Amino acid sequence: MKRISYPIEEELLNWYSLTPKERWEESRKLWDFYISMGGSLDPEPDTQSPFHAAFEKSKTSSHGRSGMRVLRRSGV
Amino acid sequence: MGGQACVFYGAAEFSRDTDIVVLAGKANLDLISLAMDDLSAEVIAVPQFKAEFLKKGHAVHFRCNHPDALGMRVDIMSVMRNVEPFDELWKRRTSIKTEEGTYDLISLPDLVNAKKTQCDKDWPMIRRLVEANYFENKNAPDRSHVDFWLRELRTPELLVEVSVNHNKQAAGLIKARHLLEYAISSSIKEIEKALLKEELAEREKDRKYWEPLKKELEKLRRGNSSSI
Repeated sequence: MKRISYPIEEELLNWYSLTPKERWEESRKLWDFYISMGGSLDPEPDTQSPFHAAFEKSKTSSHGRSGMRVLRRSGV
Repeated sequence: MGGQACVFYGAAEFSRDTDIVVLAGKANLDLISLAMDDLSAEVIAVPQFKAEFLKKGHAVHFRCNHPDALGMRVDIMSVMRNVEPFDELWKRRTSIKTEEGTYDLISLPDLVNAKKTQCDKDWPMIRRLVEANYFENKNAPDRSHVDFWLRELRTPELLVEVSVNHNKQAAGLIKARHLLEYAISSSIKEIEKALLKEELAEREKDRKYWEPLKKELEKLRRGNSSSI
């Protein structure tokens, strides 16, 4: 059998070596910590997701007139 | 499916939404409505929670208002691009028994296919999912493991290792995945280029698949805002 050296981080290898049940338990600990620190369950907007289209604000403003325009900005 | 399935199979995802795939029949949708009531969840975007939208491929988005799951989003889908119909997914599912009950997860090959999207975040996830399966089974693989790795691995070095160790099986799959030719000849640079090409092609397919659905969402949204 040919074995090829593959630069994989030790942390990731450790994670792979856990059983699915152990991974679920570790993930649960992370969740508990996240919640205890006041983390929100509301997902952040993901502009690449096709689901984002369902949440996007309308492109036209509610009053029907043109919206904000940039009048001046630096070259960057 | 989604985040917890990724954790189970070996990738590490901290996903804050819950994705559920269902068969869009009346009995199922009634049960989901009851579950959403238990979670004090409400539909927060278009489309409405109707079988017709699910069957077209849309996702229905709920947000939970129950104090135990405050703000959590639940996305319900019935049809997904690049994966088999629900009946097939169900036959191939992985069931896990825990103290709280039994959970049914999408199978690993189906999860990998479902992750082939236009989103950046999904591609490293696919790589990790297949890597984890490789490291778990590489010492005693059966033919189906090798087939899965040859079709789905996204790590050049591992593709070479599998192709060299299972040369005949790799050669038989070149028609299905051209880059195996480079893997057999250990051309890492060529594999990298081909992997990128594969990814870009899948992203484009996903964008095209969603184009008409997004247009429909836009129409629904405009309809909603004009009726307010």
